[in-house]
Amino acid sequence: MAQQAFGAMSAVQIQEGLKAKDFSAAEVARGALDGIAAADGQVHSFLQVTEDLALEAAARVDDALAAGTFDELGPLAGVPVGFKDNMNLVGTRTTCSSRMLAGYESPYTATCVQRCLDAGALPMGKLNMDEFAFGSSTETSAFGPTRNPWDLGRVPGGSSGGSAAAVAAGLVPVTLGSDTGGSIRQPASFCGVVGVKPTYGMVSRYGVVAFGSSLDQVGPFSRTVADAALAMNAIAGRDPLDCTSQPNGLDFTASLEAGVEGMRIGIVPEFMDAPGLTPEVRERIQEAAAKLEAEGAQLVDVSLPNAKAAMSAYYVLGPCEAFSNLARFDSVRYGYCDPGHKDLNAQYDASRAAGFGEEARRRIMLGSYLLSAGVYEKYYYPAQQVRTLITQDYTRAFEQVDCILTPVAPRTAFEFGEIGDPTEMYLSDMFTISINIAGNGGMSVPVGLGSDTGLPIGAQVIAPAFQDDRMTRVAAALERIYGQASVAPGFADGKAGE
Amino acid sequence: MTQHLTESDVRGIAEYTRIGLSPGEVGRMTADLNSIIDSLAPITEYDLEGVEPTFHPIGGLSNVMRDDEPVPGFTQEEALSNAPKQEDGCFLIPSILGEGGDR
Repeated sequence: MAQQAFGAMSAVQIQEGLKAKDFSAAEVARGALDGIAAADGQVHSFLQVTEDLALEAAARVDDALAAGTFDELGPLAGVPVGFKDNMNLVGTRTTCSSRMLAGYESPYTATCVQRCLDAGALPMGKLNMDEFAFGSSTETSAFGPTRNPWDLGRVPGGSSGGSAAAVAAGLVPVTLGSDTGGSIRQPASFCGVVGVKPTYGMVSRYGVVAFGSSLDQVGPFSRTVADAALAMNAIAGRDPLDCTSQPNGLDFTASLEAGVEGMRIGIVPEFMDAPGLTPEVRERIQEAAAKLEAEGAQLVDVSLPNAKAAMSAYYVLGPCEAFSNLARFDSVRYGYCDPGHKDLNAQYDASRAAGFGEEARRRIMLGSYLLSAGVYEKYYYPAQQVRTLITQDYTRAFEQVDCILTPVAPRTAFEFGEIGDPTEMYLSDMFTISINIAGNGGMSVPVGLGSDTGLPIGAQVIAPAFQDDRMTRVAAALERIYGQASVAPGFADGKAGE
Repeated sequence: MTQHLTESDVRGIAEYTRIGLSPGEVGRMTADLNSIIDSLAPITEYDLEGVEPTFHPIGGLSNVMRDDEPVPGFTQEEALSNAPKQEDGCFLIPSILGEGGDR
């Protein structure tokens, strides 16, 4: 079959085509590789492309098609998938977009990645990110930023910017990212794609380089809600290698057609009136709520009075956990080693200074300060108490409603270099952070373009802990209203493959 | 902006976290950290009397132990595969007792 833009097809379409023998998995892999080679120079979403691994996986899928066992392969059979570069995969480097890990060869494979492979996915490569996931723009990558496919002069968001941009540019239908304070949802909103931050404990974190161990969670990006549901079915569940992962019996594809009639959907007035929320985002979220109401949902105002403290709680807890997690980079067992030192401490100092970028150094030092004697009592302990209050807010809200609808980000994608002040950059996550603090699930789904900027806007659907299929159910209803997310205009109609 | 940290404090934190800041970087880092710590003020202003802390989002978990049965792990070669320097199957570091030096 002539030049198909396989990366721009949905996972569901690819699987239908494979079953109908319209094309082979090898053609899918080759087509996606060609698309990446042709278009990713503009976007810079991939740090490595794993051609051999993709073609090997495709051969296994084609063998299963020939043997008539395709349906036994799993929910991602024959689907090109990319992975954020903090996820280990044997046969690749796992760099976290840091000089510290520039040469790190994965000695093992992360469970979330392995589950995609076990589900028949074609691994296409590793995706750019903010260094160690510290950032909201992918500008802190040591290997250069990723560009937003909707406007190459703007950031894709972050930290999973590569994962969002690769999907938005039509290079792959599905990617995985990780979310500690908004790092899946905010780039999904900026790039106009679907992004799921599951409940903490839904997806194993084993083999994903840790940032904030009580906050991190892995989830998928895609252009359709059905594809996100397939990916969730592949990666969710208990893993003996992550003691915080929980068993669940959810089938994310089961409720996609259920609609929202009779559902109670919470609206948070404190969020809708927040200073910093741009009028065009407020307008789209109000419109999405009204459309859900027209579909039979009941809108209910709910209060999250303590969510305003989530930002400061997060910027206490995140750096403290990062400080602890990043202590392991010692220039001895793995990672960058500055040459020529005769003293071990001098080797540590020089290696960590040269290996870590500015934002990583800032967060490590901040975490160290916040955990020091006398300071711990002032910030860290109260932040954990605030966490209790925020969790109680959500518990109370979910006594009144089935899920909550809010903005994802206060604005659309910003220009490179537009936000230089770290505390201003942190405001990108004002609507997403409280969910990581409480631990439940949140999802970004596209609800059209901004009336001022013409750029994509995502609505956030928030569900109670371990009821994550409610998010995909509501997102599917929104998708039926707004249409499936399109490939970004400059990359549409197979341009990515030309 | 409140001066939570002096440049001297920041040099101390840099030493503790083993991040060698150049003299020129200390001033910028001090200003950045003071600005970020300022933004954390809401945490210090809450009435939290009697509120229990939540250290982890999944309640009710205690230490999760697996059965004490041997399972395959990394070989010595695999464990050393990313080491910047190694010798005789061991990680190699500069002398820590003041003798020798980098090899």
